[in-house]
Amino acid sequence: MSKNIVADLTAWVRTAAGLSMTIAVIVAIAATIHTGPYLLVNTIVTGGMLALVATGLTLMLGVLNIPMFAHGEYFMIGSLTAYYIFTPISEFILEHPDSWLVTFGPFIAILGALIGGAIAGAISEKLVFGPLRRRSTDNWVMNSFLLTVGLSVLLVNLHQLIFGADFKGIVGYWQGMPISIAGAYISLDRALAFIISAVIVALFYLFMTYTRTGMAIRAVSQDITGAEIVGIDIEKIVLLTISLACALAAVSGGSLLFMIPSYPSVGLEPLYMAWFVVILSGLGNILGAVVGAFMVALLKVITVEYVGAGWDFVVPSALIMLILIFKPSGIFGSDVRGVLDK
Amino acid sequence: MEPTTNDLNMNLFDRVLDRLCLTPIGLAGLILLLILPFIPPFNQEYMLRWLIYCGFVAAMSVGFDLTAGYINIVNFGYMAVAGTGGYTSALLVINAGLSPWIAMLAGGVSSAILGLIIGMISLRLRGIFAACLSWFFGLAVMGLAIKMVWLTRGPLGLRTPRLFETESNFPFYFLIIILVYLTYLVCKWVVRSKMGLAFQAIAQNMEAARTSGIDPVFYRVFNFTMSCAIAGVLGGFYAHFYGILTPDMMHTSKTVEILAVAYIGGRGSLWGGAVVAFPFIFLMEIVRSTLSHLPGLNLVIYALVLILVMIYYPGGFSYFYDTHIRQPKNRALRYFLNGREAKV
Repeated sequence: MSKNIVADLTAWVRTAAGLSMTIAVIVAIAATIHTGPYLLVNTIVTGGMLALVATGLTLMLGVLNIPMFAHGEYFMIGSLTAYYIFTPISEFILEHPDSWLVTFGPFIAILGALIGGAIAGAISEKLVFGPLRRRSTDNWVMNSFLLTVGLSVLLVNLHQLIFGADFKGIVGYWQGMPISIAGAYISLDRALAFIISAVIVALFYLFMTYTRTGMAIRAVSQDITGAEIVGIDIEKIVLLTISLACALAAVSGGSLLFMIPSYPSVGLEPLYMAWFVVILSGLGNILGAVVGAFMVALLKVITVEYVGAGWDFVVPSALIMLILIFKPSGIFGSDVRGVLDK
Repeated sequence: MEPTTNDLNMNLFDRVLDRLCLTPIGLAGLILLLILPFIPPFNQEYMLRWLIYCGFVAAMSVGFDLTAGYINIVNFGYMAVAGTGGYTSALLVINAGLSPWIAMLAGGVSSAILGLIIGMISLRLRGIFAACLSWFFGLAVMGLAIKMVWLTRGPLGLRTPRLFETESNFPFYFLIIILVYLTYLVCKWVVRSKMGLAFQAIAQNMEAARTSGIDPVFYRVFNFTMSCAIAGVLGGFYAHFYGILTPDMMHTSKTVEILAVAYIGGRGSLWGGAVVAFPFIFLMEIVRSTLSHLPGLNLVIYALVLILVMIYYPGGFSYFYDTHIRQPKNRALRYFLNGREAKV
């Protein structure tokens, strides 16, 4: 019995997924021992947020075949919404230091970001993706990609035009003593940001696996005609998927506002990183995206730590290129070409 | 070059025009561009500067369209490739004392090598994956340009000597018009030959193309290399015209600008982007400079036009021209728009 488990384990470790995950864990442990636990904490917080953005991107790709270039802009919309909701709240807190808003105000801001992202996603489906879907004849993947490129430029510059190009940031969400875990001090904001992302990813996973709507979304991603035959309302599912994906990115932007202030092109970096994750983990693979997000976050944190700030574009993109060359379907391999060459 | 239409029916003028890949209206447009800097509102230096930028975007969009329109792969790191050419050229001039003219060609060679590498490693990938790969490649190259401060001076910018030893922009304008035309001519020659057919066959169905005896490896890599070489030479022009080179030039948003112009012009036409670039970029520059209290407005218009074109008119300007303008009843007008047509 135990022999079987060992054999299974070694077989798993020798697959691409197992190998890369084992290497990632070993590297993480080694780096943590070498420089200290803050590295691990950074990885986990960044990875948690990246997981939200990357799951949204995966959802768009897997269900709708849209290679989303504008996903970072929904991150920006989320952080902008959270900023404009939280600024009056924090002024109110300054005058009334013992109101219930001290604890729950940040949650309201983050919830606002979620709703704002969902609404923005629904609007862009109605105004942009819907018309393209009804008119598109062939080459859907490339056309929708170019469309999202346009959407990205549009949203970035609308932000600049309406709200200005300056940094819109806050000092912090929750005041309080940092928590100390194994000698590393984690501010309350970071800890709660990670908890929020973990809860949302878990809820999202449960939603996709066990509810009828989640099953319908997965059905559409597998076979759109079959889904239509069994009576799934495609338009509704598409609308839901887009607003869900955008809401995931927006909530990530909203809860990271204390770290990353909102400015017009703030979405570019999460976008690059999320694309790295999606390429790394293969398309349409939600659990893979979550694992991949932590791997990319680890890669980024380690690059910044050992090679230097600013190299975090060069090293990850070089590595992702290698993966693309040798394993085009990603390390958690789903059938990439089948999905995209429709 | 093999004859494309039956030469026997043509007089000398038509034959030369055909070889130069121009129609009478194209020739008229080229002449108009050449006399434009002498017509009053355009003869000021700042307007000329805008026009040179229009010309740069026009030439880049022609080179971009060679890949995007003919083998259906969007090279999303195109400006990074051009930037590589620009940096190579500038560094050769500064450190090795080469003449900027030769250095520009060397920039083209370095970009061609980069294109060869991207073309080779993206061979297994299709559509969006090849686009992603070239995008990541561009990001990596931009990151290198930012971080190799000892060589490129990073974000501070590299001061480069200009091509002509004058303050005036006139010679640069004529040079870029010549470059636009040469780019178009070379690309058109290639796609008019058998190679163009091979490109389209690969773009539509790679398996079928392979079955008909077309080697996709050679044609894809050739196309990539050529398009990148063009970008490199133009990047050299960019470097030696503005006199300062920053890694910002390689940014994805610059590629988006080229891409938008190429798609609004119409993919797979080569001339569409070049024709659209002049009025479009020029108007954008006017909007940018007159409404400077509204920063970003020009890019909002830009993005809206791109979105509307992608949704409602994916063929772009060249498709509009081909379906609505090209076939008038009047014979003289028809000749003017199409040149001498082959008698079938």
